[in-house]
Amino acid sequence: MQDSTQKKTDLDVIGLSARSATGEKPVFTGDERIEKILGVTLALATELAVTRERLDTVERLLEKNDLVERDSIEGYQPDDQVEADRNALHQDYLARVFRALR
Amino acid sequence: MGRHDLVPEVRHDEAARLSVIGQINSFLASSIAPEVKSQYDNVVRPDFEARHGQAPADRHEVGAAMESNATYQLWSTLRRNTMEMRQQTGRSIVLRQAEELAEKAESFNADAASLSLNPDVKIPDYIETGDQHLMPGGYAGELVSNDVSGAANYDIGHFATVMGSSGPWNDLAGRTLAAWIQKTHPDLQPKRILDLGCGSGHNLLPIRQAFPDAEIVAMDVAAPMLRYGHARAQSLGVKDIQFIQAEATDTGLEDNSFDLILTAMVLHETSAEAVEGIFRETKRLLRDDGLVFHLEQPPYRQFGAFEQFMRDWDGRNNNEPFWSAMHESSLPDMMVEAGFAAESVFEAEAVATFFDSSKADEDFGRAPKWYLVGARLGHDMTQDENNIGGPGLRAVS
Repeated sequence: MQDSTQKKTDLDVIGLSARSATGEKPVFTGDERIEKILGVTLALATELAVTRERLDTVERLLEKNDLVERDSIEGYQPDDQVEADRNALHQDYLARVFRALR
Repeated sequence: MGRHDLVPEVRHDEAARLSVIGQINSFLASSIAPEVKSQYDNVVRPDFEARHGQAPADRHEVGAAMESNATYQLWSTLRRNTMEMRQQTGRSIVLRQAEELAEKAESFNADAASLSLNPDVKIPDYIETGDQHLMPGGYAGELVSNDVSGAANYDIGHFATVMGSSGPWNDLAGRTLAAWIQKTHPDLQPKRILDLGCGSGHNLLPIRQAFPDAEIVAMDVAAPMLRYGHARAQSLGVKDIQFIQAEATDTGLEDNSFDLILTAMVLHETSAEAVEGIFRETKRLLRDDGLVFHLEQPPYRQFGAFEQFMRDWDGRNNNEPFWSAMHESSLPDMMVEAGFAAESVFEAEAVATFFDSSKADEDFGRAPKWYLVGARLGHDMTQDENNIGGPGLRAVS
């Protein structure tokens, strides 16, 4: 989780980050509601994957240290093997979430 | 990703988010895009043939037929959303530390003779307001003083978009083109090199390594990219590249003053008028015996109607207003019109040798395989073994 109390900038980071690009947004399905629902679903799927990755980090650190500190999570650097394990995890996960599209 | 002083701080969940979005892109390309093709081959094209007595003649007819296909629609919606999510993710990382990044860059840039910014340079409207590839603010937008956040976002986000396949320094194209020059023009010993539209300068370091004694000038129209690129190069110990803010069509540089000029993924971001202007300007700047080339995705004429339609997705849906027209143009003929001798103009293919490119060859533009169009002044390129085409489409199938 990000530390929301630590304010480093005067910019409206959340608002500016969510800003849409200029230009008309395409409606592929012919129904804007479907586009938006799918967009929300994709974001949910992404955030769940992010949470799983964080949990994965916590578990690995617990195993390693018997102790978890917030800073140690922020500073965790996966090695190549961990990256590969995580990529495999995500591919499996994505195949489940997007089964309906296959 | 390779560490340099300008790389923003990326927290645990932010790194995970970029990685997951990269994974989704990869999944959409490897698992869903083939489903789209399968829908075309097995449903849409047979249906079209039954109704019209022939297959779709071009990408526009493919598009009209595919638009109502559910698999294509949902694949497109997801793809568009991953582009938007990638921007939101990258922006939330860089904007929360925008001032800090600007200060870091300034510590390398302030009073540096090797960085020349010019606030009077006119930014083309399509760069100023076009939000290329859905990047809010585009290349030139600034939110804080001495802003580099857009360039930092480009740097960390590109890594996610291509799943790290550009290497830790995001410089696969740069390494590929440096190797291509040395292999196909081994006699060229450039004293002065110009990288037009250098962006955040990812191609410059491989070029510096390939030609350690050359003087290198890097030019871009967008100040944030130059600030970041200059500071990034400095922080990596490369301090002898001159970064200049100017328009590629009006560089202000001397006639006949460069032996090697290149652009990489620049032409498709500019108008046809600007492409013509760049060709004329590079002709003016190039010395006798000099080499100029432009790296892009291949022109559509090399592909069938369905592959063209898929490659054109960015032109339709990713704020790439010049993508479609540029890939339909004959750039070699435009170079001849701009003043290059027809026999000096060539087309070539540059394939990255650093990664396994044996994976799916029809991947609609994701493989590290690029198209080059260029000219070698005073040389007859018509018989050159690396020339795959040229003006009048000599040999391109």
